[in-house]
Amino acid sequence: MTIRMHKFCLAALGGLMTTTSLQAADLNALIWCDHADAALLEPFEKAHDVRVNVKEYEGTAAGLTLLDQSRPGDWDVMVIDSVDVARAAEAGYLAPLPADSVDTSTTFPEVALTDAMTVDGQLYGVTEKFGYNTIAYNKAAVDPADMESLGALWSGKYDGRIAIYDYYLPVLGLVGLAEGVDTADLDAAALGTLRDPLMKLRAASRQVSDVVGSQTALATGEVDILIGGGEWLTAVLHAENPDLDWTLPKEGGLVWAQAVAMVEGTEQPELALEFIKYILSPEGQARLATSSCYWGMPANKEAGAVLSDEEKAVLRWDDQAEYLSRAQLYPVPDADTDLAMQDLWTDMLQN
Amino acid sequence: MSIERTERRQAAGLAAPALLWTLAFFLLPFGAMVWMSLGHMEGRTVVPGPGPETYARIFSDPSLFRGIFVSLEITATVTVLSVALAWPLAWIIATRVPARWRRLALLLAVLPFWTSYVVRSYSWALVLGEKGVIMNALTGLGLLAEPVQIMATRTATVIGFTHFFVMLLTLTIYSNLVQLSPNYARAAEDLGASRWQVIRLVILPLTLPGVMTGAFLTFVLCIGDYITPQILGGNNELSLPQLIMLQLGRRGDFPMASALSVVLMAIVTLAYAASARWLKMDRV
Amino acid sequence: MRILSWAYLALMFAFILLPVAVLVVFSFQDGRLPVPPFKGPTLEWYAKVLADRDLMAALGNSMLVALASSAVSVLLGFLAAAGFARARLPGSALLRGLIIAPMTVSYLIIGLGLLQAVNWIGLRPSLMATGIGHVVINLPLCFAILAASIGAPQQSALRAARDLGAGERQVLSLVLAPMIAPSLAAAFFLSFTFSWDEFIIAFLLTRFDVTLPVEIWSMLRSGLSPETNAVGALVFLVSVLVVVTLELLLFRKAAK
Repeated sequence: MTIRMHKFCLAALGGLMTTTSLQAADLNALIWCDHADAALLEPFEKAHDVRVNVKEYEGTAAGLTLLDQSRPGDWDVMVIDSVDVARAAEAGYLAPLPADSVDTSTTFPEVALTDAMTVDGQLYGVTEKFGYNTIAYNKAAVDPADMESLGALWSGKYDGRIAIYDYYLPVLGLVGLAEGVDTADLDAAALGTLRDPLMKLRAASRQVSDVVGSQTALATGEVDILIGGGEWLTAVLHAENPDLDWTLPKEGGLVWAQAVAMVEGTEQPELALEFIKYILSPEGQARLATSSCYWGMPANKEAGAVLSDEEKAVLRWDDQAEYLSRAQLYPVPDADTDLAMQDLWTDMLQN
Repeated sequence: MSIERTERRQAAGLAAPALLWTLAFFLLPFGAMVWMSLGHMEGRTVVPGPGPETYARIFSDPSLFRGIFVSLEITATVTVLSVALAWPLAWIIATRVPARWRRLALLLAVLPFWTSYVVRSYSWALVLGEKGVIMNALTGLGLLAEPVQIMATRTATVIGFTHFFVMLLTLTIYSNLVQLSPNYARAAEDLGASRWQVIRLVILPLTLPGVMTGAFLTFVLCIGDYITPQILGGNNELSLPQLIMLQLGRRGDFPMASALSVVLMAIVTLAYAASARWLKMDRV
Repeated sequence: MRILSWAYLALMFAFILLPVAVLVVFSFQDGRLPVPPFKGPTLEWYAKVLADRDLMAALGNSMLVALASSAVSVLLGFLAAAGFARARLPGSALLRGLIIAPMTVSYLIIGLGLLQAVNWIGLRPSLMATGIGHVVINLPLCFAILAASIGAPQQSALRAARDLGAGERQVLSLVLAPMIAPSLAAAFFLSFTFSWDEFIIAFLLTRFDVTLPVEIWSMLRSGLSPETNAVGALVFLVSVLVVVTLELLLFRKAAK
């Protein structure tokens, strides 16, 4: 009995080993959840006869920690906040993209950020998708006119009907906008002035929640307003509840932009580059824009030819010029300010 | 003498794999974690210790320090509530339900054990929401004029936890009760005890070891759980495991995650020391 | 008292079964939101689940990890229990304590420690690491169950077998194992259940190949959908089927 069990164990462990060993035809991608959609990955896998392994993360700090814990060659490509590309490149996490290998001429210029992603004359990332962190709301329960100002959230009128999206960068950015602080000026000193309004917002809100918690709360009417929300959150619920809407208030909103980049140390740069090219192609862009985890504007304008009119309507394709002119980029805190922001956020959650 | 030595050598040889496994994959990693907790973060790099910086931060930062009390309060509430609800249930199944239905009743009482653990919390989120089944029923029947908020509060977390641990405790207390000889109760009744007195003065004390073991397991599992408060609590307060995962997931701060884990471990050890004399851990 | 008892029983059953019932009902929801009102039945979400490549891979991974880690746990626990029954070892209380110790430690701590050890040695997080962690949590349980099942009758049978010249391996496999077979099965079954459903260790120690609870968690985080209900309901129905089958088999055996 023991001997047989022994053999069985060995066989089972052997099975474990082989499934975890990496095959040559694997592309390892450190990604945001929208890239995990099989509808996005499968065409690339078929075309290049590879398997794309994905690992989700949230927040640049967490992503870089994952890279710290890995060995060179573990990762081939990653998705990262466009505004953080230069920082990651300078710290040696990213590999430069070969000159002229990607065409960014059809990217929306406001989010292309090619200069910001260029370090020492070399390009390290390309924006692939963008959208807004602003106010999402239920127009059946909220006066849309009120939503034209961030001040409404502090007015007392909507106390207990607000949810805060659980990500510190955009929400602190929005609180800053409400206080008249541009995201570019959000430093340690400015952060001090945000504590008070943040805590007031907290007191007026019902919960601080991740994507699904926010969706549940909005969809079921537990809350009527989500600060930090946008089309990425309401688009997938559009069919169920057309009353869910979002707007860019007069103070403005935040535009998020995510970039795709090659990880330093990759052993298959050609394949990694092919993946990046696929993601940036009109077809890849259209699939990414309507990916199952969240929707967002494709960075490449040419995706417009592939997306249906209905999809474009949900994405508000035609309003982008106006939105982009009023939105501000994510704050780019230095390491200390970033930690101070996270501390402030933890305080807010715990009180 | 030599036979005894051979026996000992054989015995040691048999126990060695388990001991080595525990040493290599439990004790050493735990040691590595304690060592990590004595270091601290500077920017994005870990500065190895030993030094008290990270622990000092736990006790000086109110948001971190409060996590200890959030966890303790939730866990204490859940443990007491679960025992209080599970004991009568186990007793009714063991003594009131006809013998032929007993196993079925027990099976029903622990049926949701076999849903996936992550999904169980999620399904409570669906039940407790403002548009969920409970609020719908209560407002529909006119028992409530307005739905009240349960979801995204500590109450939701406690309900989710209690649901799970009532099942666990019902099992342990039930197996305790059926092992008791009916003679105890009969003897007490013969001596003139009322039914309540029999339960309170005879059966309850006899099940105490089982109850304590179950309560201790509840305490350990509850205080270390991340999923339930994360799904049901709405981030309105953070328990220790949530703080640990926050340090790990958002900041990559391994020293702080480790130090908070050591604090968590210390709390469990204290709880163990306090209840050790009632526990029969190797007779679960 | 009688009425009170039945009322309490009914109330508790409602409490215990309510979330599962809601879960299952809304897995048939014809719409994207698994909350009332119920819009009529559809099997759409089940079809989605069964066609979900990642989910099915995770199911296979979970099965593999649970089978392998339970087998190792039972084997190690069995050997250790036999060892402690064989002779009094010096410091045996301490050694027993060491094997039991992980039972009193939160899974999160075991996972975090292993994660750091894995990083330290330079290994990659993997199903293998997860399996190792699951043995750590299940070994104490197996040991406790099996040690408790070796009593005086088993010990004298072992002694008799040895006196008759049986080798140690024969004693364990031909005498002890059959004698405590029900406990071995129970230990395996419990270990399997715990490993199958364990989240936090698997979450910390896997990278690309994940187990089912981790996959469900990322489904849950990526958006609200009755698909999550459907997975939960499927896992539940299959598990209950297994449990009921086992129950009937054991019940029949016991009745004989």
